[in-house]
Amino acid sequence: MNEIETRIVTIVTELLARSDRPELTVSLDAALHGEDGLGLDSLETAELSAILEDELGTDPFGAGLLPETVGDIVAFYADATAASA
Amino acid sequence: MTAPRTVIVTGGSRGLGQGIVQHFLDAGDRVATCARSETDAVRAWQADPAYADRFLFRKADMADREQSTAFVKDVLAEWRSVDVLVNNAGVARDGILALFSDEDSDTVIDLNLKATIHLTKQVVRNMLAHGGGRIVNISSITGLTGYRGLTVYGATKAALDGFTRALAREVGSRKITVNSIASGYLRTEMSHGLDDAQLNQIVRRTPAGRLGEPDDIARAVAFLVDERNDWITGHVLVVDGGLTA
Repeated sequence: MNEIETRIVTIVTELLARSDRPELTVSLDAALHGEDGLGLDSLETAELSAILEDELGTDPFGAGLLPETVGDIVAFYADATAASA
Repeated sequence: MTAPRTVIVTGGSRGLGQGIVQHFLDAGDRVATCARSETDAVRAWQADPAYADRFLFRKADMADREQSTAFVKDVLAEWRSVDVLVNNAGVARDGILALFSDEDSDTVIDLNLKATIHLTKQVVRNMLAHGGGRIVNISSITGLTGYRGLTVYGATKAALDGFTRALAREVGSRKITVNSIASGYLRTEMSHGLDDAQLNQIVRRTPAGRLGEPDDIARAVAFLVDERNDWITGHVLVVDGGLTA
């Protein structure tokens, strides 16, 4: 995994640990919501949005996007990096 | 949440807000406040070496979302996280509703309600990211009992209490408490459209026999934001000298 992928996976893993779900494995294709995925509820999604903004200065939810997977979040930052290059 | 905490008090340049800011500064906390204009109190805090690096002021109109956002960003750039938010900024316009101007309604609702919601949203996101916090909304007994001539003001304060209860439910599991203080009539409210006759009548009907002082409210704020008081949330604490008892 590259640097941004590692960072996003770490953030989501730490969020799940805070939510008493440390046993879940976070991969890029993991769905953020639903029983078959990481199962984030609306408040956990808000937390994730706030943590991403706090650590990275911006976040896909605040930008009006609705990422469905961990990879979608990574793509948001990859796109932003490519656009600013 | 160990001292010094980082505290935001909106509208802290005069009156009740000034008293709340002073209370937190005296407790050793870092305090950021904003108002549309700089006052002697603000200049004194800025010049006092005892508050060096512990006091931040920005001239800003909280009803302007860009200015409000910039204020919070400045606080976070300076101190990274917010532990306590006191939503004190507010404005009163008195007048019989049937003669009340739409402009006055907008002014009161924009600052007392919409600006409070916007600023709280920004701060609560930071509290979610950093694992907790305390929020106190300064409302008013006029939102509980109503007061002739303060219909719109009272409506915004009642709405703030509803906002308090809903937000407390929303973020309670994240170590964030949200409470209101329904303030009674303070001496500083002489500028809020109540004349001497009205104030004298209020004093006569108040069991404590006097109008409130800013410090009466500031001490109640300090109680609600005490880190030990994590089981009090979604509450509207009436501090009014017994007027509504």
